[in-house]
Amino acid sequence: MFSVKNKTANMSIAIPLLEKKARQLRATCVQMAHDGKEGHLSSALSCMDLLVGLYYHWLRIDPKNPKDHKRDRFIFSKGHACTALYAVMADRDFFPKKWLYRYAQNDSPLPNHPCKHSLPLLECSSGSLGHGLGIGTGMVYGLRLDGVDARTVVLMSDGECNEGSVWEAAMFAAANKFENLLAIVDYNGVQAVGRSDQLMGYTSLEEKFKAFGWNALTINGNNLNEIIAALDTFPFEKGRPSAIIAKTTAGSGVRFMEDQVLWHYRVPSDEDLKLALEELKEVAIHLEEV
Amino acid sequence: MRKAFVETLTQVAAENSRLIFLTGDLGFQVFDNFRERFSSRYINVGVAEAQMICAAAGLALEGWRPVAYSIASFATARAFEQIRISVSYPNLPILVVGAGGGYTYAASGVTHHAADDLALMSILPGMTVVAPGDSNEVAALLPELLQLPGPSYIRIGRYGEPSYYANEPAVLGRARLLRDGERIALVSTGDLAVPVLEALEVLKADDIWPIAYQMHTVKPLDTTTLDQLSQRVETIITIEEHLPSGGLSAAVNTWRTTCEKSIKLLRLGPVDAFALGNLERNELRHRLGYDAEAIVKTVRSLWDKLK
Repeated sequence: MFSVKNKTANMSIAIPLLEKKARQLRATCVQMAHDGKEGHLSSALSCMDLLVGLYYHWLRIDPKNPKDHKRDRFIFSKGHACTALYAVMADRDFFPKKWLYRYAQNDSPLPNHPCKHSLPLLECSSGSLGHGLGIGTGMVYGLRLDGVDARTVVLMSDGECNEGSVWEAAMFAAANKFENLLAIVDYNGVQAVGRSDQLMGYTSLEEKFKAFGWNALTINGNNLNEIIAALDTFPFEKGRPSAIIAKTTAGSGVRFMEDQVLWHYRVPSDEDLKLALEELKEVAIHLEEV
Repeated sequence: MRKAFVETLTQVAAENSRLIFLTGDLGFQVFDNFRERFSSRYINVGVAEAQMICAAAGLALEGWRPVAYSIASFATARAFEQIRISVSYPNLPILVVGAGGGYTYAASGVTHHAADDLALMSILPGMTVVAPGDSNEVAALLPELLQLPGPSYIRIGRYGEPSYYANEPAVLGRARLLRDGERIALVSTGDLAVPVLEALEVLKADDIWPIAYQMHTVKPLDTTTLDQLSQRVETIITIEEHLPSGGLSAAVNTWRTTCEKSIKLLRLGPVDAFALGNLERNELRHRLGYDAEAIVKTVRSLWDKLK
């Protein structure tokens, strides 16, 4: 079902279902943020379609054998958006859905920045931006020496690309011709207290990655057709790492949250939750289960 | 020390096929032999310390045993947050190597001084921190560090430091007795064992016999030996090429807060300031009062008072 070999069949059957899945998981994020009283919702919603494309279509991972040496490595470098990661992992049965009730609670396996000590399933902890791509390059180097044909994917935020370490890693990846490395930038345009375009001097992320020796393409990162088409083209070029610049809308899927710096931090009130769920026309996956 | 480092590293790499070496574009000609023998396990990441540490973390997560090498100031301070988050927090078995620790590169200016490396590394949970005093200590301790389940830091010097003899071998985590004696204990780290031994030779002529320990392992601190020492001496003098905060003397001072017996601590070492003036290292040690002469003077005046 999750094979990447039969691309056409996979795509034509899956997309409307995947879109429904993405709405369900967005509802899950809003519920978790509301119950856990932790924000970062707009960052979670913006990357949800990317996560759905990865986890339901592209990543070679097996919840029954999550540490299989041949698995694709997925690094969720924008750790602050972890409600999205937890929701999709629970839905793919990497852990029980009822754990989502414990998001951001004391002693939870799901803290408000992912911690590998709490959730050993993770490839690494995240929360401090600019680490994921560098760690990913180390993994690719090690996997290549071991002759393991696994792919490594790093999901970053556009604000994260302010960090110089991202570009140190980008240079290293190109110098070592890491064809098995995919960086995805969730380009939602909104940072903690500003707009990423303004802070990056209105320069192109795609051009930057290309200048660093990558092959890169820009897509609508809230469109599952485009996401899956891009993923299926990987690797974009022989001998180069690939980057997807996924233009997304912060808070995507919930209109009153969309493209608002406010919703980077704000915790949804009871009223916000009600309105969001009405618009998504779905309920959280962990509530359904009870 | 660097020769001993690369020779020992090459030996370990021959036995352990998972050992992998990363450099932040430093060590010109030092690693040529290693690189020839293990080309795929030699990685020059470029002048990119953050990347060196993150890549090391990724390699460790895939079951490799990375050794990340740069000049001490860059290996520690420049990449501090990467070491904190991607090495110490996940407790990965990565060895960070700071070449030219302390004021090895005194005359190169403040940018190349690393008199804060032990503090930066010691403050990280789970980190083992080592400052050997000579080539023999490097050769003895390095294989032990490369067996640890968690992260470690080693401060090494340059080339041609004098070697010294001690009755005991260097064992990771254990203070190494250089000379036994009485009443006063000298506790050094790094290559300050050398001026300590020079000082002992001078003091011997005056029939002054302090105890001397080399505390090559700064963390975890050998508190067992310190506890025993506290029963035997009234004063411990620490000698370090490190700022007052966070180095050996600070660690010993923290130990003292747990010590039942009242014991006097003295410290010889640099003051809390950038070392300006492009001084040559020995001159710097002389002016800041932690060379052999200063050690002799301090011990002599204390010894007289104790009489």
